[in-house]
Order: sequence, then C-alpha cells, then structure tokens
Amino acid sequence: MIQVFNLIKTYGGGAPALADISFSVKDGEFVFLTGPSGAGKTTLFKILFGGEKYDRGQVLVNGVNVGKLSEENLFFLRRDIGVVFQDYKLLPKKTVFENISFAQEVIGVPSKTIRTRTWEVLKSVGLTPKKDAYPLQLSGGEQQRVAIARALVNNPKIILADEPTGNLDPEISLKILNLFEKINQEGKTVIFATHSLEMLRAQNHRLLTLNRGKII
Amino acid sequence: MVSFLANTLRTTGLNIKANRQVFMLSVATVAVAFSILGLFFLVHANLNALLSTWSKQVQLVIYLDDGISNTRLKALKKLFDDNEHIDSVHFISRDSAWKNFKSTFAEKSGFVAGLDLNPLPASYSLRFKEGLDRLKHIRQLVDELREGEGIESMEYGEKWISKFENFMIFLRFFILAVGGILGVGLVLIISNTIKLSIFSRREEIELMLLVGATHRSIKVPLILEGVVQGIGGVGIALGLIKLVHLYIKLQFQGSLESIFRGADLQFITQSFLWPMLLAGVIIGWVGSLISINQFLHSEDRR
Repeated sequence: MIQVFNLIKTYGGGAPALADISFSVKDGEFVFLTGPSGAGKTTLFKILFGGEKYDRGQVLVNGVNVGKLSEENLFFLRRDIGVVFQDYKLLPKKTVFENISFAQEVIGVPSKTIRTRTWEVLKSVGLTPKKDAYPLQLSGGEQQRVAIARALVNNPKIILADEPTGNLDPEISLKILNLFEKINQEGKTVIFATHSLEMLRAQNHRLLTLNRGKII
Repeated sequence: MVSFLANTLRTTGLNIKANRQVFMLSVATVAVAFSILGLFFLVHANLNALLSTWSKQVQLVIYLDDGISNTRLKALKKLFDDNEHIDSVHFISRDSAWKNFKSTFAEKSGFVAGLDLNPLPASYSLRFKEGLDRLKHIRQLVDELREGEGIESMEYGEKWISKFENFMIFLRFFILAVGGILGVGLVLIISNTIKLSIFSRREEIELMLLVGATHRSIKVPLILEGVVQGIGGVGIALGLIKLVHLYIKLQFQGSLESIFRGADLQFITQSFLWPMLLAGVIIGWVGSLISINQFLHSEDRR
C-alpha cells in the first residue's frame, strides 16, 4: 500500500514540482498516473523509491516511512519496488539473460535460483529466444520487455512504470500495457505513468492526474 | 558469505580489467612515490646502522691532573669498578702514555725522540657494555665527574655523536613530512582513479542501487580496487629499492665495508617495511572510500 500525505517538493526555490499532494494506492491496484511533461510524475516516482528527498509531507510505502529511511537502509524499500523507465536503462555490454541475472546477483540471490528465476521471467515476457542477444540488437518493445523482466525478477510488491511506452509505437505500447496488466493480475500493485490518451482510453483503471505539481 | 566474497573478487577483477590503463597508471604513481620514500628509509636504516657501529667503538677517556693523589686515583678506580655499565677499565700511566706515543711517532719525527719532558697526562680508558643506553650511561658518568677533583678533561667524541644524532632526528622528521605529503597526494590520486572506475560503471552502480543492492556490496569491490592499487604500488616500490640495494652492494662492496667497519649494507628494516605496506593499504582504502562516499551520497538522494 502506498500512502502520500501533503507532499511538497521544490527544486532550488522555484515553483514546487509537487505542491501539497495526497493520495493512496491499495495493494494489488492498477493506477494510471497521467499529466503533461513536467507535471511531476517522475519526481513523484523518485520520491516513492527513495531516489529523491522531499521538503514536507509523509510518504508511506508498504508501511515504511520513506523520509525516515537513511541512505544505507534504502535497499529495504527498493527490494519491494520494481522500476521501469522510458529509456529502459539496460546494460549494453550484458546479454538479455545477464541483464536480468544482474538484478538478482547484486542482492545476493544464490546462483541456482538466479538461473531458474531468470528463465521464468523471460518466459513470462516472451523473450526466451532472445536470451543471448545484447540490448542494442533488440527492438524498442523487446528492450522494454527485458526492463520489465528485470523489474519483476526479484518479486517486488510494487511496480512503478515511468512512461514505459513513451518510445514505442501504439501497437507495441498496448502489448506492453497488457503485460503490466497481467503482472497486476498476479497480485502486484502497478502505477503506470503515461500521457498517451490512447493508453488511458484503452483500459478502465483509476486515474491520478498531475498538473503543475497538483493532483486534479 | 562465500558467494559475497566470490562476487566481490569477481567485480574487483572486472573493474580493474575495464580500467586497466588508469589502474596501471595509478599503481605506477604509488610505486614511484613509495620508491622515493623507501630510498629515504634505506638511507635512514644504513645511517642508523653506521651510528650503531660507531657508538659501539666509543670509549670514554678520562685525562687526569698530573698532581692527582693516590687516594683520589683509588677512589676513581673504585667508582669505575662499581659502575655496572662499565665493561672494562684500563689505566694508562703518564710513562706508558709517553712510551706509546714515542713508539708511534718517533720514526716520523726526530723532534719527539729528542724530547726530554713528558707532556702527556695519565688517563683512564673505559669501555661501556653494549646496549641502546650506552651513550646515556657515558653521559651520566661524564656529568658526575665533570667538576671532580683530579680530572683534567674527558673525551668520548660527544660533539660528532650529538651532531650525528641530531641529524638522525632531523632525517626522521624529514621522512615523516615527505611521507605525509606523498601520502596525501597518493590518496587524491587513488581517489581520482576510483572516481574514473565509478564513472565508467555509473549506469551499473545506479541500477544496483535501484534494485536494492546494499551500500556494502557496492563499496567493498571498489575499496578492494583501491587497496590493490596501494599494495601493488608498495610491492613494486620495495622491489625497486631491493634492486637499488643489490646494485649498491655489488658495485661498492669494498668501500662500504670500510665505511661500515665490516657491517653489511642494510635493506629497509622491518620497522619500516610493515608500516610501508600498511600505508599502502590505508592510502588505497581512504582514497577509494572518499570517492565512493561522494558518489553514493550524490546518487542515492539527489
């Protein structure tokens, strides 16, 4: 469960990026986060996974007060959250299989489990034939599926998807959206940021709209 | 734990491989700096050995007044015999001093052979027991006898020993100062090398943080990389100094033997060897830690 109370975030004394916003997302819910570029969607995601400090308010993720976590203890929070970015953030020198394994290696998952889990998630995103390919040999949609697999592999409770279809054509975008919905049906909470009206119209999920740092 | 260690070693190896040139450059810089420092240590070790050899040969000669009484002579003898730090006491009367002098110089100067009066005083020659405090004990006895009755003067080469000791103290401070300056420089160099290493793996480390890697799992391989640079540099430096040591030994064996009076040319002593290796570890550790902490604090919550 995500609970945000009166959250304020300002960069360098300018207009607030997030201006006193409050909302909550229940466990297992799928929420669209929308709004124009610069509305504060990315800032909100960063705050949720502890990548950004905030000025005022309270943010609780799975009961953890994010603002109270020290830098050394942020990993507790981050192991419960899978993040997917618009630009995929894959490691170009690692293969698809290695990119997904890497996310498990760094948190100390035993190597036998790594192999099994990597195969499972590759299967679930339909990328087993591409396991030995390097990211730059893949299409945009495929790269995004690798990024989704990497976000899923450590079995987080929450998935934050920051404009995951921003670089993809509409047909592929819908397939990616369907993949996130499948993930949601497996019990994970998903916040899916997009400013594509087509995506928003395609499915009936709760909508959180941000504009100039405010929820409208 | 085993998997953490294996992962750490593997990551360190990969980091070094990825930044081979910068890593080698950093190791070479550490090696050059420690070679300079090591050469100072080498000089220090050998001058110390020289001082020790010379101080072993130091004896206290007490020249007596011509009119010294027998009672005073006996009292002095008793005083020397009772002193537990004195190894041997040798009395040279005026006559035997003159006899020795003449036998040494008569052939060289007819003037000495023809001289009728004896200008030389009687003396006591004292040898002190070996030990680190030998000079201290000599000085104590000299202070005790300085204003004493029947004593004309005392001689044990204090001036040059003091000068030499002062020079050794200066050398120690000089080595410390040079070591300190080089140490700070090396910390900054290693810190920058690790910064480059972090920069080249920036995306990877960002991802590690994002998926929930602990700070420890990010820090340890990078610290190890810094430590390897430090130890590697010191190791090469010690090798170079050993080569210099062997070269000097082979080339100047004869002259050295006469300077050191039979003692061997010293390599860096244990008391400097281990601190040098430890300094390599600490410099590598601190240098890498500075860069890692800077990065983690800027990266975790920008």
